[in-house]
Amino acid sequence: MRDRLLQTLSHCGADYADIRVEREWRNAVLYRKDNLENLESSSEVGGIVRCLVSGGWGVAVFNSLEELERRVEDACRIAKTVGAKISQRAELAAVKPVQDEVRAALLKDPRCVPLQDKQRLLQTYNERMLGFSDQIVTTQARYADSFREITFASSQDAYIVEERPDVTLLLSATARNGDTNIQEAFESEGWAAGFEAVEGQEELAQRAAQRAVELLQARPVSGGVYTVILDPLLTGVFIHEAFGHLCEADFISKNPRLQEILTPGRRFGVPELNVIDDGYLPGLRGNSKYDDEGTPRKKVYLIRKGVLHGFLHSRETAARLGATPSGNARAVSYQFQPIVRMRNTYVDQGSATFEQMLKGVERGIYACNAFGGQTEMEQFTFSAAYAYEIVNGKLGGMLRDVVLTGNVFETLQSIDLIGSDLQIKGGAGGCGKAGQSPLPVSMGGPHVRIRNLTVGGRVE
Amino acid sequence: MRVTIPAAGLLEKVSHQCEEAELYEVRGVSMPVRFAAGTLESVKSVESVGRALRVIKNGRLGFSTTTDLTDDITLVENALQSAQLGGLAGFSLPGRRQSPAVLCFDAEVEQLTESELITMGEKAAARLASYDPQLHVEISLSTEVEEVRLLNTHGLEVREQRTSLSVGIDAARVREGDIRIVSDSDVSRRRKDVSPMAMVERLIERLGWSEKTTTVQSKTMPVVFYPRGAIVLLLPLMAGLSGRNVSMGSSPLRDKLGQEVFASQFTLLDDGRLDYAARSATYDDEGTPTSRKALIEDGVVRQFMYNLKTAGQVGAQPTGNGFKSGFFGGGFSDQPGIAPCTWCVRAGERSLSAILGRLPEALLVEQVIGLGQGNVTAGEFSNNVSLGFLARRGEIVGRVKNTMIAGNVYYLLRERLIALSDRAEWAYGVIRAPAIALDGVSVASSA
Repeated sequence: MRDRLLQTLSHCGADYADIRVEREWRNAVLYRKDNLENLESSSEVGGIVRCLVSGGWGVAVFNSLEELERRVEDACRIAKTVGAKISQRAELAAVKPVQDEVRAALLKDPRCVPLQDKQRLLQTYNERMLGFSDQIVTTQARYADSFREITFASSQDAYIVEERPDVTLLLSATARNGDTNIQEAFESEGWAAGFEAVEGQEELAQRAAQRAVELLQARPVSGGVYTVILDPLLTGVFIHEAFGHLCEADFISKNPRLQEILTPGRRFGVPELNVIDDGYLPGLRGNSKYDDEGTPRKKVYLIRKGVLHGFLHSRETAARLGATPSGNARAVSYQFQPIVRMRNTYVDQGSATFEQMLKGVERGIYACNAFGGQTEMEQFTFSAAYAYEIVNGKLGGMLRDVVLTGNVFETLQSIDLIGSDLQIKGGAGGCGKAGQSPLPVSMGGPHVRIRNLTVGGRVE
Repeated sequence: MRVTIPAAGLLEKVSHQCEEAELYEVRGVSMPVRFAAGTLESVKSVESVGRALRVIKNGRLGFSTTTDLTDDITLVENALQSAQLGGLAGFSLPGRRQSPAVLCFDAEVEQLTESELITMGEKAAARLASYDPQLHVEISLSTEVEEVRLLNTHGLEVREQRTSLSVGIDAARVREGDIRIVSDSDVSRRRKDVSPMAMVERLIERLGWSEKTTTVQSKTMPVVFYPRGAIVLLLPLMAGLSGRNVSMGSSPLRDKLGQEVFASQFTLLDDGRLDYAARSATYDDEGTPTSRKALIEDGVVRQFMYNLKTAGQVGAQPTGNGFKSGFFGGGFSDQPGIAPCTWCVRAGERSLSAILGRLPEALLVEQVIGLGQGNVTAGEFSNNVSLGFLARRGEIVGRVKNTMIAGNVYYLLRERLIALSDRAEWAYGVIRAPAIALDGVSVASSA
């Protein structure tokens, strides 16, 4: 394989070319209510070639490895067409070509664990949720594992074989009271690990079911402006969605106006605010030793001591902004070219305690976990999975339908306290961008307190 | 040289090892062209194949997929192993059934060259640049030609060639303290239905309306969802009308068949037989003929959407909604779920300007972020309005910022429907809806 790839690339006539060949083995189990809806072992093989000619990219995707040489020619031909028409030429920042083989060290390789074990485990979790209360009307217990072996070769003589394991668990329970009061709660976990990671998680099933039932009694929040404390999970979603995406240099590097706003050195928050994207954290979903351009991972400070510090880069964005590639060019599969993506993104811990955060808050919200979130440049929105009211410095009753929204720059400036209880984790989903979803990532932070945050909801 | 195992041969082989089997095969060629910052960035050529095998053995369902067509042994083994432990199927695969062909193939799409796609993109980018050179424009265009084959052991044999042309345009205007993105996307199986230049002109009109910003007070007020904003209201209904949620008891509509639970002006069709529509096909991905039917007619719930499995669970007929991909993705490697075809909301009688003209103040919602967040099952929506305009007696006053809308679709479409406009328009190539004006929507603003 090695010689075939390197030889094909070196003869293709492009200024630069690379190829990724991917084999994936995956298994999935899905229970909905008492139905085993999916139980599956599948496999996939495919590849992608990128050729750069006169600053223009030509890309070819294929499933049949027999076609590899022809597809390299196709990509090269397309790149010539693009290169002839392009006005902003792509260049690549230098990266030392690596030869490496990275094997995953797993306690229980999911390829070797019988499908039956996976089915039984999920059945246990599902029954735990269904049996929790008569008010639980439906559940979802979803397990997925994926083991990918990615072979990367470039015309600059890089050759890397890397195994990337990923395993996820989603446990969701829906409770109903009467006709219209329907509440859903979930627990969602994901790891760059083997089957061992999802074992012994009965507690998660219990929590999901219990919270769904509790939410039946929760009050819908009244829309307005509040002091909000985010739990570590929601801090993670906020920093990933609202700020992390802005720091992906693909958009900035082609947008001079945005560069004026996102100027390194500019203050974005209190001195205690540090935001980091890190590919090194063992067992977390955003890990991989190399990105999909063969660049080694890094730990990147996006905000350091409250001040904008750096961006996430591919080789192309790094060349355009005169920066160093940061190992963030990632592709969700062989069907896509790598684009700038996050890995494990978090707000670093500060020094405040939860009690300090509650203190002095007359009317606030403690918002936990996220049902989802989306951003559009500076605008963000995400919905808390559940929340509690804060009245005169004390936690009160449970709230639901809490959706937070705002302008990220104003919101970062409004973070006044940062907790010391850092937690980073991957959920069962992943990150979506430019049609590439779900990319394994992790996110997190400590509790943080934000002043004057807009909360959507019913207006009284 | 490794050889591809023919589909019919594979099915014949597996038929001796189980009661029923179905092979879905797709071969596709697509050509995505991408423009970033107003200029050409990359062109991609995708050649893909995939197979999904479903088997029923001892009444249990097994499933497996692969992209390696030379390895039938692993695929069959995986599917049979899955069936050994799998859930009870509770349905039988359909036999051959006649269904008049829905037009899904347009040679003009197939013949579009990469140069022609590039030219389309260049023209759209040039028009936007001439309107405002500061705009940051991203454009993606793609053609796709695919052949879908579906065979089963009951003699079903479907082979359909389908084309599609899709275009997405984002135009961002970045100013300190005010970044806005106006976007549009369209897709059709027929070339002439997709006009990037018409999309650009619409975007320019919206950008013009956005020149002035304005604020609204937090309160409940009339909101007009137009036309892409309609997805906010339709998304919870997709969950509520899905046979799966009905069979599991989580849909608020589960026992409302035949009852009037929406305003009588409200009629919603699911149409799988519109020629050249992106979500049209002659058969669904399980071989059930697609159909055109009212899900909600004059406010009355008439029909839920079922695939084979959920229809089997509740003793209903499959409705031709068993698709591997929905509005938000999917593909051959997914089991057939339940997904809408084209959703059509019946138009009303008054023009949009007449409706707006009678409202002292209304919020026109075109684009939101945060779709699907919140309690969709219960009919709740809560979204940030990423593109919305305040109108006073029909005059657009300006764009609103930092504004959330929230409400419950089941309540609002029953009690607070003001009017539907007289013209249904396409949104995203998958919805045809008029402007939908609702009163009593919560609007929260930080302004």
